[in-house]
Amino acid sequence: MKLIHYRDNCIGCNSCVQHAPHYWAISPIDGKADLLGSIQKKDVFILKVDESEKEIHSRVVRDCPMRIIKLSQ
Amino acid sequence: MKQKNVEVLAPAGSFESLQAAIQGGADAVYFGIEQLNMRSRSANFKLKDLPEIMKRCRKHDIKGYLTLNTIMYDHDLPLIQEICDAALKNKVDAVIASDIAAIQLARGVGLSVHCSTQLNISNIEAVRFFAQYADVIVLARELTLQQIHFICAGIEKEKIKGPAGKSVEIEVFCHGALCVAISGKCYMSLATYNASANRGACLQNCRRSYRVIDEETGDELVLDNNYVMSPKDLCTIGMIDKLINAGVGVLKIEGRGKSAEYVLATTKAYCEAVESVDDGTYTPAKIEEWKTQLKTVFNRGFWENGYYLGKSLGEWSNAYGSQATQEKVIVGTVRNYYPQKKVAEIFLQAGNVKTEDMMLIIGPTTGVVKCQATKMIVHKGIKDKVITLPVPAKVRKNDQVYVVKERHETNPLPR
Repeated sequence: MKLIHYRDNCIGCNSCVQHAPHYWAISPIDGKADLLGSIQKKDVFILKVDESEKEIHSRVVRDCPMRIIKLSQ
Repeated sequence: MKQKNVEVLAPAGSFESLQAAIQGGADAVYFGIEQLNMRSRSANFKLKDLPEIMKRCRKHDIKGYLTLNTIMYDHDLPLIQEICDAALKNKVDAVIASDIAAIQLARGVGLSVHCSTQLNISNIEAVRFFAQYADVIVLARELTLQQIHFICAGIEKEKIKGPAGKSVEIEVFCHGALCVAISGKCYMSLATYNASANRGACLQNCRRSYRVIDEETGDELVLDNNYVMSPKDLCTIGMIDKLINAGVGVLKIEGRGKSAEYVLATTKAYCEAVESVDDGTYTPAKIEEWKTQLKTVFNRGFWENGYYLGKSLGEWSNAYGSQATQEKVIVGTVRNYYPQKKVAEIFLQAGNVKTEDMMLIIGPTTGVVKCQATKMIVHKGIKDKVITLPVPAKVRKNDQVYVVKERHETNPLPR
């Protein structure tokens, strides 16, 4: 299972950090969220995550106001 | 009160709109950089765009104001500082701010500050307080003309000055979207979708139609209009003289999320109106003509004069989205421009053009160019559909080409 972050459009609302602080942090450089430990492919950040934490990641996806976080198999 | 030079301030949410504002005759433009502004959902400029924006402003001798007007969190402070430093370096004329942190950091590097409408400034005492930091105060959108006049007269009488040493200027909205919340401070989009309007991410669910149902009985109240939270757009083209006479120094057009042709049409109309008030040719016939022009671009119907001539809240939109009389349909892109003959070669990959069509060519450097397709030449025998036609101003490769159509239907409801 993968978390996908289209970071460019992040508005730094901090919602993902609140839900899953082990996975997300606000960058001190540009105030946008960083998906910790992710791999960058062009403008997209990808992180393999475990199925066992699907619920937490789903909440992050649901509450992102910009709809720029996706969870895929 | 004596008349003074009034500034028409136009929105620039993109290079296309910036160019359109210049073409429309704006005295100043406002724009957002990165995410800390009230249109963070729209395509915003990046920090790297700032030199080019200010270069264009300088070239056309207009002022450029940077919006930095969301609610700020601690993690935003480094970015605010970076944006302020870049603004100073690029000689941005002022920063429009509401959060005290943004005001403080902007002043800290010596930038001029304008107080955003998000501060809901509604009285002379508040103006006196914020004049310690700001040279321009954007008043709350909900004040009446009388209240605005009282504030402007108070500034003059009490000689309230901004940090620049000049009398503090009063700015009001003259055109564009209003919303159900006081001066944009709303919780609805956040409460329903976690998308905060105060971080510029408003999803505008207030613009939809709603039903009122009694939970106890299940009875539904019959409303004559279900768009119970969506006001029509503000239009003051018929009372510009009154706003100027009240002492307003800056007239702001809303719409950083709107199209370039909206920016062109609104800026042009308000600039002409201010000019005609100035030279004594502000007539009902002209006002009607401007209104017709304003109706051609995005609008939710007009609530003429807004709150300025009274507090009645009667003017609700009766449809979702725009009620513009015209719409643009994309037909292709510019493939080439021949400057000597002033002819554009257009590749029609998306639609057709008829000789009677009115066309719009829009691009980041071009802005908005209107032209009639009357003299177009259709090139037959080429694999692609290509036309050439004379254009009144320079256009550029990859500019988008549209046909303007009359619009009769209201928008369908969003899914």
